[in-house]
Amino acid sequence: MTPELVPHLVHQAAVAYSAVGAVVAAAFLLFGLDRVDPAARGAYAFRPLLVPGLVLLWPLVALRWLALARGRGLRGPAAGQTRHRRAHARIWIGLATALPVLLLAALALRQEGPLEAAPVRLPDAPAGVRSAP
Amino acid sequence: MSAHQEGRDGFFIGWSDRLPRGLGRFLLVLAVLVVGGVSLLGLALSGGVEDPGSGDFDWAAGERTLQGVLTAQPYPVLWLPPAPGRPRAHGVLLSGNGKAGVPIDPATMEGRLVEATGLMLRRGTIEMMQVKGDPTPRDPTVAPDGGSGALVAEPVPLGRWRMVGEICDGKCYAGAMRPSTGLSHRACANLCLIGGIPPVFVSAGAIEGTSFFLMADKDGRRLPDGVRDLVALRVQLEGEVERRGDLLVFKVDLDRARVL
Repeated sequence: MTPELVPHLVHQAAVAYSAVGAVVAAAFLLFGLDRVDPAARGAYAFRPLLVPGLVLLWPLVALRWLALARGRGLRGPAAGQTRHRRAHARIWIGLATALPVLLLAALALRQEGPLEAAPVRLPDAPAGVRSAP
Repeated sequence: MSAHQEGRDGFFIGWSDRLPRGLGRFLLVLAVLVVGGVSLLGLALSGGVEDPGSGDFDWAAGERTLQGVLTAQPYPVLWLPPAPGRPRAHGVLLSGNGKAGVPIDPATMEGRLVEATGLMLRRGTIEMMQVKGDPTPRDPTVAPDGGSGALVAEPVPLGRWRMVGEICDGKCYAGAMRPSTGLSHRACANLCLIGGIPPVFVSAGAIEGTSFFLMADKDGRRLPDGVRDLVALRVQLEGEVERRGDLLVFKVDLDRARVL
């Protein structure tokens, strides 16, 4: 295998992958989306925005599309949104808890910078003198 | 129209005029919690910040007349006798009008019992009088400390310290101005020091419960002009600290000063 062959094969594979992805994206946007997501019915302007993601993730899209078309995975027209919203709620609660804790912990544990350094007693200071905050 | 478009399933739709009922209650509770929480957080954070003061003289008290012992080195201080709740002699820094110090001749006034009249400035435990006229010598036989000797107590050495903080003029820091930063703050402080107003060092941390120090050079005399390059900057200084009454004096070794 010559050194030039590897990038050539990688390029060819990427082109082939993208070509299949473009076909899957077009098919999904034209025929699949309305079936798996009732909320998308009648809405077209946003569909071109999905093309890059569909091309890159076409194997996953195809698998999900197939599963949804066979009636697996979803129960009811809004089941997908419900699942996502539940996940969103869990993440929201987690972040709403974690972010204040992180902020307060950072405030409590922050290092004392050189500008806030406390007085330092140098060696020849007599004993018994105390530093108070 | 689907169920979520009618807002029955609690799903937010950006272009819809109506909020879902459940989401509306949630947003109301959240808004109250956020507004209340942020307000409480603001109160808590601001409660930990030092009061900037009024930036003004104590006009309510008017002119006061104090009697005490005057010392001129390193800078003019009027020493008041101990009082109930004040076990040590109390040092009141002295300044003249505006950006001028009090012209004291140490040869004739050092250690004398005087009476001074003027307006007071106060920030925490630091106190300054803007003297009207010159302090007037009183009968030296009338000792305001009742002969206890508290006013002429020997300085108590507290050792050598390294501190981080800012050199300020004692008048603005004592309350004539609010704390500030920047070039104009620095120019103001230097003009005050050139005029003879006592410099104070405001430390990032306290020694013996005090975070401001009357400044002197390492021999206990007035600071040289070179100190102006260090004024109103974050600096690290080293020197001996000693207690005189309730004042701490920082006898700084300017050769070891460092701007941070």
